[in-house]
Amino acid sequence: MSEIIEGIYQAINLILTLNPEMLEITLRTIYISLSSTLFATIIGVPLGGLINFKTFKGKRGLVNIIQTLYSVPTVLVGLFVFLLISRAGILGELNLLFTPTGMILCQTILIMPILVGFTINALSGVEKNIEDLAMSLGANQFQTIYTIMKEAKYALMGAVILGFGRAISEVGVALLIGGNIRGFTRVITTTISLETSRGNIALSVALGIILMLIALVINLILNIIQEK
Amino acid sequence: MYLLEIKDLNKKYGNKKILENINLKVKTGINLGLIGPTGCGKTTLLRLIDLLENPTSGKIIFDGINTSYSKKDKLQIRRRMGMVFQKPLTFKGTVFHNVAYGLKIRGENKDQVQEKVYRNLELLGMDEYAERNAASLSGGETQRMALARVLVTEPDLLLLDEPTSNLDPLSREKIEELILQLKKENKTTIIMTTHDLIQGQQLSDEIVILNHKIFQIGKPEEIFRKPQNQFVADFVGVKNVIQGQAILTSEKLTMIKKGNITLYSSEKGNGKVFASIRPEDISLSLEKLDNSSLNKLKGNVIQIEDVGAIIHLKVKVDSEIFTVYMTRKSFLDMNISIGETLWLEFKATGVHLFQ
Repeated sequence: MSEIIEGIYQAINLILTLNPEMLEITLRTIYISLSSTLFATIIGVPLGGLINFKTFKGKRGLVNIIQTLYSVPTVLVGLFVFLLISRAGILGELNLLFTPTGMILCQTILIMPILVGFTINALSGVEKNIEDLAMSLGANQFQTIYTIMKEAKYALMGAVILGFGRAISEVGVALLIGGNIRGFTRVITTTISLETSRGNIALSVALGIILMLIALVINLILNIIQEK
Repeated sequence: MYLLEIKDLNKKYGNKKILENINLKVKTGINLGLIGPTGCGKTTLLRLIDLLENPTSGKIIFDGINTSYSKKDKLQIRRRMGMVFQKPLTFKGTVFHNVAYGLKIRGENKDQVQEKVYRNLELLGMDEYAERNAASLSGGETQRMALARVLVTEPDLLLLDEPTSNLDPLSREKIEELILQLKKENKTTIIMTTHDLIQGQQLSDEIVILNHKIFQIGKPEEIFRKPQNQFVADFVGVKNVIQGQAILTSEKLTMIKKGNITLYSSEKGNGKVFASIRPEDISLSLEKLDNSSLNKLKGNVIQIEDVGAIIHLKVKVDSEIFTVYMTRKSFLDMNISIGETLWLEFKATGVHLFQ
């Protein structure tokens, strides 16, 4: 118990003094998870839209697979990307292993199923007749899809928030692909993991609190965007 | 000039025929009422006209352009039409946002959008609703908003699917008034579906009776006075329909025989026909009168129905039962009771023949 209280003090201390290392790790954490959320959104939402609006054979099966991938273990995705970008891998020449870019790539892949799957859910939740309504009022195909997306914006925002949550909180990819290199790929979750194993429980608790605060702030910002 | 021409149109869902061999020409500026029972294909026909669905076969020609061509043409044509759905939907957001949608999509500038939206909301008595959340409107208000949302785009062809069904009387009246006003202005061609005959009659220049096929097209009075077939007669509630054998006796007279009944009609007919006589065209007397009416039938009163100022009588003549209306005053004057023998008289011009 005393470690938790000490952790809270330490967290306050770290934040108030703007501890440089804490600041650096925090900013990197935000940078990596926001970037991967952004990329996954840019690719995943249109992809989800495409799957939702097109009818094709095996659509149901595909949606099932996407939903299964929501719960794929992060280390498994890490391992897959590791094999891809390690020296001997297809993308080995890009030297992405143990870099923030590699981590972004890996986290993008990790949360992609959430963005795609939840986009499909969100769009299929919009009443079918909205499409007719938009078209009948003169919308072209692009405008119709945009209208449906707008109707589904709350659910779509939910998908983005969920994807971001999975990205910022995961540790498997960050360790396996990032390597927890101090000053280069170290993020909050990997630091917590490291400090806990070293016995610095209070510091871990402090970092945990900071992680939760970041998540809170980002969610608040997204909520404000959503209301607009 | 026809704004819309439909040629040999068929629509199937799977094996189910929804519309069969529809041929229709709609003149610019008229109000066309599409009337038929529930599930007769009215809505499907409107959706096909609005190019939301493709016909199984046949052509839809809008303002001389065959609509079955490119997507771009379809969009341009669709932008000249507007449809109000039976169950109106709302986009998320305010009433203003909803009504402005069609204009924004057409890329109109902000000032124009603002001006047109408010003008149309005012037209429907909804200008104070502009900033309200559209989802909070009542059914009638939503329907009015849906109408404003379409009218704001100034469509050449307005498609209304049961525009007043399930509405409160006030909203219904407002919408009917507006349709009549549009009809007067003569700018917008309107195709309106309804299952309400009286509404169809009041609001339409022409009526189409539809039940998967077109059973009759005509002016409202033609449909009601001269149904062309049994379906229309039944549907519009024509009373006193008798099936018999017709013989053309002269240039201007047809004789119809059914059992012991002989009828004369001034319309031409031959072979098996249906004859209908409107109850209000039949006069009653206690004695056979010496007058010019060619049709004089003797029967017995079997039922008296009191519906206020008008009394409905059912009179059995041979094996047929005739419905006859009379005013309460003459009913009391004649002192009619059940079982009474009466003479039914009507002119040959009052006997309408159809196949």
